[in-house]
Amino acid sequence: MKMIAFLRAAIVAAAMLVSAPVLAQEKTGLKPGFALAPNARIVLMRPSIKVGAQSTGGMFEPNADWTAQARDNIGKALQSTQVRLGNRVTPYDDAAGNDPVLLGQYQNLFKTLAGSVIEFQFFPGNRLPTKVRKGKFNWSIGQEVTRLPGLAGADYALFINTEDHYGSAGRKALQIFGAMAGVGIKSGLHIGYAGLIDLKTGELVWLNADQQMGGDVRDAVGATKRVNQLLEGFPAASTAVASAR
Amino acid sequence: MRFARLALLLAAAAGPAAAKSPPPLPTYTPAYEPSTVDERGLWGEADEEERKLRDSPLVVRDETVNAYVRRVFCTTVGQDRCKPVRIYVVEVPRFNAMMAPNGMMVVWSGLLLRARSEAELGAVLGHEFAHFELRHGLAAFKRARNISDALSWIGVAGGLSGVNTFGLQWALIGSFYRFNRDQERQADELGLKYLAASPYPAGAMPELWTHVMAEDDATKVARGRKPRQHYSAGFFDTHPTDLDRAVTLTKLAAKYGDSGDAAFAGHRTGVTPVLPMLLADQIKLNDFGGTDYILGQLAQSSGWTSDLLFARAELYRARGNPRDLVTAAGFYGDAIRAGCTAPEARRGLGLSLMRSGLASDGRTALAEYLQLKPDAADAKAIQALLAN
Repeated sequence: MKMIAFLRAAIVAAAMLVSAPVLAQEKTGLKPGFALAPNARIVLMRPSIKVGAQSTGGMFEPNADWTAQARDNIGKALQSTQVRLGNRVTPYDDAAGNDPVLLGQYQNLFKTLAGSVIEFQFFPGNRLPTKVRKGKFNWSIGQEVTRLPGLAGADYALFINTEDHYGSAGRKALQIFGAMAGVGIKSGLHIGYAGLIDLKTGELVWLNADQQMGGDVRDAVGATKRVNQLLEGFPAASTAVASAR
Repeated sequence: MRFARLALLLAAAAGPAAAKSPPPLPTYTPAYEPSTVDERGLWGEADEEERKLRDSPLVVRDETVNAYVRRVFCTTVGQDRCKPVRIYVVEVPRFNAMMAPNGMMVVWSGLLLRARSEAELGAVLGHEFAHFELRHGLAAFKRARNISDALSWIGVAGGLSGVNTFGLQWALIGSFYRFNRDQERQADELGLKYLAASPYPAGAMPELWTHVMAEDDATKVARGRKPRQHYSAGFFDTHPTDLDRAVTLTKLAAKYGDSGDAAFAGHRTGVTPVLPMLLADQIKLNDFGGTDYILGQLAQSSGWTSDLLFARAELYRARGNPRDLVTAAGFYGDAIRAGCTAPEARRGLGLSLMRSGLASDGRTALAEYLQLKPDAADAKAIQALLAN
């Protein structure tokens, strides 16, 4: 069956890149001792949202309507969740006059950082012997992030990334027949992560990554469930700090 | 509601009198909007990619060069077709261009260095636009999906029945690559039609492929490999071979028999603002044979300018045999005498001379470099070298 996988990969690779789902051993990282500033002002960076179907052969079939619905639903669900937590969430103002190139670079940098955390922190087996990761969460995109226009007055930046490939009818049928033939075929791919950057220091204070997410982002109820999963372990505001001020 | 109308051959009418009438172009649909789930999905994905590319530091922002590339594109495919297309020139020093399903065109800077005339540049841009107009992205997506679906079912069925399906699967995979090559041929044919209907001569397209092959041969010879061009494509090839394209396109271009100015000087002027960047990027590819060939081609068109001499000197110094350093020092000197103002010419000259045993002359050149560029990134290293 290995040959089949190879042959299919030859076709699929020609058409597009498919990221293989990996099971994370740890899902959430929080900087020890970190507590959110009370009434935090959080800027939501433009989420990266990709929704489509998974063909019988495993190819991703992008779907414009589902992606638009998910963008809308996730945005609304985030808003209501954060209001409940007592935080103010405003989308990043993408207007002209900002520095789009620098912004793009920070989006890329965050993606790379999140990837590193998932790979080298959440998988204890991948931790380098030269780095102490146990009981620590020491990651940053650099203090220079404060130079990014449009973040004045904000405390944190929230980055969201989700990707959903809904298994098509053909894929599900293949899964059943595959099981009969003794081939394990996975239907659907639902991965996502969310991270919070402290805009005073550039530090990544919290990251939550899930390779098997629940909640159908195409409807409002499902999107709320998805957002709750994305925000699992989201740092709570410290009331102690608030009263000390 | 879509408005379909025949493309007017205004461009051809404005051009020089052709020997034969230009070929008719396919019906063009302005402001096309995708309607099916698949096509809308692909467009949406391309839109997201375009958002990222638009703000990428790789994009060449020089307005003159962007205006030049757009002018050549519009001259090739006509004003109607070119208007909605967004062109992004990106700093990638290889020969390529591509077009996304949503009408975003990406031009690699290496193409600007390799095309020798406006017509040759237009030939590639026209080919890419043909992929877009023929909606090849969508067709290839559907084809890949059908084939991977079939492969999966065949694999499972083979597993259940114990029948060997190896041959069938290979045949399907082969058909995918063949499909891709057919798309390339279609794009070549339509691209050639644009060129024939434009003021540019269709013959520029096969000529470009001849030069691509010559560069490839030069690269191989310099690396001690056998230069070899093939007529027929390999199993996994996504494109017909360069030789196949050169021969086929020569035949087709002869059929149109159109004349016209390929505009060599126009191309030289068009890329002038970024030429130093194009050359510096090319040198870094560590491709002595190919780069030397390109420089020779450029010199045939413009003569050995100070930019080209400087690039040639850098190329030889990068290879770095003792004889190369002597040659490089000579070219640096020629470049400076021809008016090269880049401080790096002094640096190259100084380093080449010092390494060739001419220490005092080398020091003089390096001191001049530091004088011209006191805040150079390597100023401290050069100072240390001088202090020794």
